Amino acid sequence: MKIDEALKKLEQITKQLEENDLPLEKALGLFEEGLSLATAIKSDLDQAKLKIQQVMKKAEGVFSVEDFDLQ
Amino acid sequence: MLEEHVHSVSELNRKARGLLEKNLGSVWLKGEISGLTRAPSGHLYFTLKDATSEISAVRFKDRSALLPPPQLQTGEEILAWGRLTIYEPRGRYQFIVSLIQPAGLGALQLNFERLKETLKKEGLFDAAHKKPIPPFPHRIGVITSPTGAAIRDILSTIERRWPLIEVFLFPSVVQGDTAAGELISALAYAEAFNSTQAPLDLLIVGRGGGSLEDLAAFNDERVAWAMFACPIPIVSAVGHEIDFTIADFVADLRAPTPSAAAELVTPSRTEQLGFLSTWTTRTLRHLEILLDRRTRRLESGLKGYIFQIPIRKVERLSQDLDLRLGELLRRTGEAWKKRHREATRLDGFLRLCDPTLPFQRGYCLTFRLGTPTPLRDTASIAPGQRIKTRLQKGSFISQVEEVTTG
Repeated sequence: MKIDEALKKLEQITKQLEENDLPLEKALGLFEEGLSLATAIKSDLDQAKLKIQQVMKKAEGVFSVEDFDLQ
Repeated sequence: MLEEHVHSVSELNRKARGLLEKNLGSVWLKGEISGLTRAPSGHLYFTLKDATSEISAVRFKDRSALLPPPQLQTGEEILAWGRLTIYEPRGRYQFIVSLIQPAGLGALQLNFERLKETLKKEGLFDAAHKKPIPPFPHRIGVITSPTGAAIRDILSTIERRWPLIEVFLFPSVVQGDTAAGELISALAYAEAFNSTQAPLDLLIVGRGGGSLEDLAAFNDERVAWAMFACPIPIVSAVGHEIDFTIADFVADLRAPTPSAAAELVTPSRTEQLGFLSTWTTRTLRHLEILLDRRTRRLESGLKGYIFQIPIRKVERLSQDLDLRLGELLRRTGEAWKKRHREATRLDGFLRLCDPTLPFQRGYCLTFRLGTPTPLRDTASIAPGQRIKTRLQKGSFISQVEEVTTG
């Protein structure tokens, strides 16, 4: 799942959890789901490393893509 | 006798004004300032003159929010862009100035203003054409010099704010005679890359600040059209705050600097981490409220309870709940453990005690007609007796025909 989708899902879960009269079983299930989403997102954010590539045009429709280093 | 139309004064002034405004439009006017008056309203009134002639002029306050208010001085020669009109109540004709610059500013600035006006008329700056910038970009294309300060600023900002992004640099010279051509070609191959290799969420096009000459490529008409035609949303990132370029007006979003561009298009990691770190606490607090409310409700439901639930079943189900909760609590810390254990066990137990639960499964209750105690044994019943049976919904009365001892 992409991170923005995960965040959106977490938002939905939070909204559902805030509904009144939510059965407890369901609330616990949602909480578990939310917790694993939150953990996954956090670890994505913690481990993310910016990927930079330089694109050069070789010919019509032909590209070279190389890692770009700023030095 | 010929019937001549007789004009009123205001009619004539209105007619003259219409003719003047319609036929002359906006013009550039060069002249020397005299009789400068700054009205309390902030409007500037002055006379523009040359060796033989003069005209009264007015510059209304905030005519152009894009430029700082002009520091005009009597005797100064200026270039003014404006339109001629007649101030009807006085029958006086007047030059209404929208832009002022020192006359010595040169052709480059004039060209810039003219091109801006033309492209504006062509609709290149219209809000209707502005594409929305996606809030969570995954791939960002950057068109700038690979050696300038701009790329450095952009990359360090993205890295700090949202390093989950893949950045593709499409190198281009951003200064000098070849810059416009290179920008256009970089735009073209970024487009080709977008449609054949990997879709880009947006493009940042820019460079650091500089003089009007330095920024020429970003004021180039061909570059403006290429940007306008580009299907990928473009964020312009030219210069340092005050420099506006044609590219800024055409772009879908204008950022005052390259770092600001990177900042505008990325979510904040700090904010999201903050949200995530409080999520667990907030949600647990909410669950706790939910538990409390439920427990209270079940406690009050318990009064008038008439069944005995097999105790082993309660234990087993209660254990299931404990298992699940235990798993949760291992992850969320010991502090919550005790409270939730108690609350959840109570909740699970009370829920199993819900007197309507067996009915929901299809069990029913039978009474001898007129007695309050449910039947448990056939010993207390004989053929011919009338009994009442209660189901989940409703009840019925029947007569016993035969009794089998269990």
